[in-house]
Amino acid sequence: MTIPGAGRLVGLLAATFASAHNIVAALVVLQLAAPAASLVLVGLPALLDRPLSERATTRLVGSAFTVAFLAGLAMFAVLSARGFAPEQVHLGTWFSVGHHDATIDLVADGLSVPYVCFSTGLCALVNAFAGKYLHREPGFTRFFVLLSLFGTGMNLMVLAGSIDVLFAGWEFLGISSTMLIGFFHERTNALKAALRAFTTYRICDVGLLAAGVMIHRDVGSGDFERLFGGVWPHAECLVSPGTATLVSLLLVFAAMGKSGQVPFSNWLPRAMEGPTPSSAIFYGALSIHAGAYLLLRCEALLDAAWLARLALVAIGAGTAVHAALVGRVQTDLKSMLAYASMTQAGIIFVEIGIGLRVVALVHIVSHAILRSLQILRSPSALHDRHELEAALGGHPGAASWSVVNLLPEHVQRRLYRVALDRGFEELVVSRLVVGPVWRSLERLGQAELGWIEWLGTRPQDRARDLAERRAQGRSR
Amino acid sequence: MNLDAHDIPLVAALAATILAPLAAALHVARGGSQVDPRRPAIISLLVALAASLTITRAWMSGPEVTLELGQRLGGGFLVHVDGVTAVLLPFVAIVELAIVMMAPKRFLDGPATSRILLGAATTFALFSTAHPLVLIMAWVVTALPTWWSTRATPGGQTAARVYAIMMTLAVACMAVGTVMMIVDPPWEPGVGALGTAGGWFVALAVLVRKGIVPFHSWYPALYRGAPMSTALAATVPQIASYTAVRLFFGHADHGDGVGAELVVLSQLALLTATYGAALALVQRDLRGLVGTLAMSQSALVLAGLAGKLPMELNGAFCTWISSGLALTGLGLVGWALESRAGPLSLETPQGRFADAPLLAAFFLLFGLASIGLPGTLSFVADDLLVSGSLDEQLHAGLLVIAATVLSAISVMRGWFMVFGGPANLDGPRHHVLPRERIALTALLATIVLLGLWPAPLVRELERAGSELLGVPLEPRDPAASPRYEKPAGGGTSIDEVGTITGDVLVGGEWLRGCAGAGLPGEMKDLDQPVDPQSPREQSCTSVGHPIAAATTAPSAPTSRASASFISASGSIPSPASRSASRSSSMPAG
Repeated sequence: MTIPGAGRLVGLLAATFASAHNIVAALVVLQLAAPAASLVLVGLPALLDRPLSERATTRLVGSAFTVAFLAGLAMFAVLSARGFAPEQVHLGTWFSVGHHDATIDLVADGLSVPYVCFSTGLCALVNAFAGKYLHREPGFTRFFVLLSLFGTGMNLMVLAGSIDVLFAGWEFLGISSTMLIGFFHERTNALKAALRAFTTYRICDVGLLAAGVMIHRDVGSGDFERLFGGVWPHAECLVSPGTATLVSLLLVFAAMGKSGQVPFSNWLPRAMEGPTPSSAIFYGALSIHAGAYLLLRCEALLDAAWLARLALVAIGAGTAVHAALVGRVQTDLKSMLAYASMTQAGIIFVEIGIGLRVVALVHIVSHAILRSLQILRSPSALHDRHELEAALGGHPGAASWSVVNLLPEHVQRRLYRVALDRGFEELVVSRLVVGPVWRSLERLGQAELGWIEWLGTRPQDRARDLAERRAQGRSR
Repeated sequence: MNLDAHDIPLVAALAATILAPLAAALHVARGGSQVDPRRPAIISLLVALAASLTITRAWMSGPEVTLELGQRLGGGFLVHVDGVTAVLLPFVAIVELAIVMMAPKRFLDGPATSRILLGAATTFALFSTAHPLVLIMAWVVTALPTWWSTRATPGGQTAARVYAIMMTLAVACMAVGTVMMIVDPPWEPGVGALGTAGGWFVALAVLVRKGIVPFHSWYPALYRGAPMSTALAATVPQIASYTAVRLFFGHADHGDGVGAELVVLSQLALLTATYGAALALVQRDLRGLVGTLAMSQSALVLAGLAGKLPMELNGAFCTWISSGLALTGLGLVGWALESRAGPLSLETPQGRFADAPLLAAFFLLFGLASIGLPGTLSFVADDLLVSGSLDEQLHAGLLVIAATVLSAISVMRGWFMVFGGPANLDGPRHHVLPRERIALTALLATIVLLGLWPAPLVRELERAGSELLGVPLEPRDPAASPRYEKPAGGGTSIDEVGTITGDVLVGGEWLRGCAGAGLPGEMKDLDQPVDPQSPREQSCTSVGHPIAAATTAPSAPTSRASASFISASGSIPSPASRSASRSSSMPAG
C-alpha cells in the first residue's frame, strides 16, 4: 500500500461517522486492526526487554478481542438488515508488477461475518481463561503475543477478499500454531511435535501457494470477485471448469494439512503438547477448521469441480473412520479429544463435498464451541469425574455399546490392533517417505563434508595422513 | 569524461559512498583509533549509507537516467549508475553497518576492521561500474581479505584452502573470458567464436563465485571456517550476480535481452537452490545451516535473473535484498550467541532460550523473514519469483516452491534445536548489548518496512528490470482493472491513476510523465480535468509512444544508454498506430 493508499485508509475510517455506507468497511478494518494493535502493543515492549505486566497484557489482549467481537456483532446486525448482501472493502494495491496486482481486499458476507464473530468471541474467552491458567508461567507474555498473532491471522483469513490476503492470514495461523505447540520448549517432545506440525503445514501450504499463482495467471487478479460472483452460499463460478478443478484440488490439498486429514493427520494428537488454552482454541475450534473455511469460501469453485468434491468426500470419510477408530484406544484425554476433533473435521469435509455448505458452517461453529469447552475442562477431568460419582452415589459405569460391537470378534481384534498403530499412517509416512529421504540427505551431507575435507587438505598432508592410517592399521 | 552539471551531485554522492569507508580503512590500518576501531567504521559506513540513499532518492525523484561516465570498454562504462545500483548500494551499506555494529569486541581489532572497510569500499565501487577490467580487479580485491581472514582463524585453514582454490578458478575464468569478450564483443552483430567462448568462460566464473552446483562446496565451508562477518561480507552482496547482470544483459543477438549463458546458469541455480535447502535440513551445526541457507537463497536470485519478464527479474532483485538482509540478521544473531555460549550444535536441543530470550526472538523473526513471513519483503519476493517462474516454466516454479518449503523447515528446526531443550539453570544470562539491539532492530525494521510498503521498491525494480531487458513496461489495460469505472458525464479527465507509477488514464489511454500530472510516484486526484492540447500536457508520453514534442514544453526524459521505451520519432502517432504499436511492444508471455 502506498502512502496515499494509507491516507485513503485513514480517510475511510474517519468518513465512517459521516456515512452509513462506510460503517461496514470501518467495522471490517476494526476487526483487523484490534488484534494487530494488541500484537504490536504487547510484542514490542517484550522485544525491547520491557514486557508489560500480566494484568496489563490480559486486559489489552482481552480488550482487543472484545472490540473485534463487538464489531463483528455490529457488522452482523448491519448485514442482516441488508439481507447479507456482501460488502467489499478495497484498501488499495499492496504492490503491482506488470499485470500482477496484489490487492488488499476484504469481504463481509454471510460466511465471514458469523465466523469472525464466533472466532473473536472464543479468543476473548480463552484470553480470560489463559490469564489465570498461565499465571506466573515464564512464557506468559509470549503466549499472548502468539494469541494476538493468531487472532490477527484468523481475522485476516476469514475476512479476506483475495487469495493473497487469505494466504497472509493462513501463514500467520501456521506460525502461531507451531510456536504454541512448542511453547514448553524445555520438553523435547514439544519441540518434535511443533516441528512435525510446521513441516505438515508447510508441505500442504504448497497447495495454497500454487492455487494463488494459478488464479493470478488465469484471472489476472487474486480477487475473489473475479473467481466467483453472487452471494454465499449460492455464488457462481466465473472461471472455466478446468481452472476450477485444478485450483480446487490444490485448495483441498492445502486444507488437508491445517485440518489434520489423512495422511497429514499425525501432527494433530501431538499438538496437544501445547498449553491447554491454545489446544482448545487451535485444535478444538479455529485452526483445525481453517481448512474447512477455505473450502467454504471457495465453494463456487467446488461446484464446478466434481473431481475435487469426490476427493473431499473420500478424504473426509476416510479421516472420520480412521480418527473414530484410533480415538477409541487412546489412553489420555487430550489425545482422545484430538481424535474426536479430527473425526468431526472429516465429517465437515464430507458435508462440504456433498454440497451442504450452511450445515457445514453450523457444524463448525457448534463443534468448535463444544470442543473448546471439553479441552478447557480436560485438566479438571478427574475432578469432574469424582464430583459426578459423588453426586450419583457410585461409579456411573462405562458406555459399553458401540457400532463396532456389531462386527465379528476377530474383526474387532484386528481393528484394535490397527487403531493401536494409528492406522499405520505414521509407519507408512515415516518408513516409506520421510526415513529414506532423511537418510539420503544425511549421506549427502556427510559426502559434502568429506569432499571439503579432502579439497581443503594439502596433498602432502593427505599423503602423510594416509601413511599414518596405514601404519596404525598394520600395528593392530 | 562526459560529465554534465546535473550529474555532479550524483557523482559526489557516489564518491562519498566509496571513499568514506576507504578513508576509515586507511585510518584504522595506520593505527588510528586503536582503542575502539569500531567508532570510525560505524561513522564511515553511516556516511556511505546516507550518500547511497541520496543516490537512491535522486534516482527515484529525478528523470531516472542512467549515469554512464568514463571509458566504455567491453560494453560497460567505468562509472555506471542505474536503478540496480541505486537499490543495491544502500543495501550493501546496511549489511556492512550491521556487521560492524554486531561484531564481537575481541574480533574487531584494527586489521580486521580495516579489512571489513576495504571490502565494503570495494563492493561499493564494484556496484558502481560495468567496466569488465574493474570488475575483475574488484573480484580479486574482495576475495583476498576473505581468504586472509579465514586463514587467520583457528580451524579455518581447510576452508581457506577450499576458498582459495575456487576463487583462483573463478578469477582466472573471469579474466580469460572478459579479455575474449573485449576482443570479440558478443553484444555486437556478427559475434565470432571467441566472443561466444568468452561469454561461457565468464559464465563459469559466475558459477564458481556464486557457489552453484557443482562448485558449491566452498559456501558452507566458508561459513564454518571463517568469522561470520567475513562469510557474510563475502556472500551477501552477491557480486557474481551483479557481474552476471552487467555482462549478460542487453546482448544484441538475443531478442529477449538475456544471454544464453544466463539461461543455463539459471537452470543450475534452480537445482542449487533446492539442493541447498534440502542440505540445510540435515546440518549438524548452526554455521552449516546458515551457510547452506545462504547458498540456496543466493541461487534463487540467479535463477530469477534469467527471467524474460520484468516480474521475474523483480522477484530476483527483491529476493536479493530480502534474503541478504534476513540472512545477515540470522548470521549475526548466531554469531552473537556463539561468542557468548560457544559453538552451537543442531544435533541435540541446546536450551539457549532461557539464557538468551531476546536473541531467540530476533533469531526467530529473522528466520521467518527469510522464509516469506507476510509483512516482510521476502513474502513479496517469493510471490513474484514463484509467479514469474511458474508463468515461464512449470518445473522452475515447482523447484522454487520446493526450495522455499525446505528452507522454512530448516529454519524452524534450527530455532528449535538451538533455543529449545532443557535450560542450563547454572549458566549465565546473555544480555544483548545496546549496539547489538540497535543493529538488529534497525535491520528488522528495514525488512518489515519494505514488506509492508514494498510499492516504491517494486516500482523502481520494475523500471530497472525493463531497462535491463530492453522491453517497455507492460502498460496497464484499464479494462482489466476490477475497479475501473469511467466517470459519468464524459469529458476529458483523469479516469484512473496508476497506484505505483502515477500514470494517468485519460480518454482510455495511459499517459506518463505529464508535467500536469506530476512525476511518477505522485498521485493526482481522480476526475481532475486535463487538457491534452495545453503545452504543459504535451510533454506527456503515452506508454511506449510519444504524443508530442512541443517546443514550449520540457522534453521527455531519455536514457543516454540504448533507448528503452520511448520512440525516437517525436511525431504524434495516430490512435490506430499507437494501439497497434503498444500491442506489438508488449513482451510475449
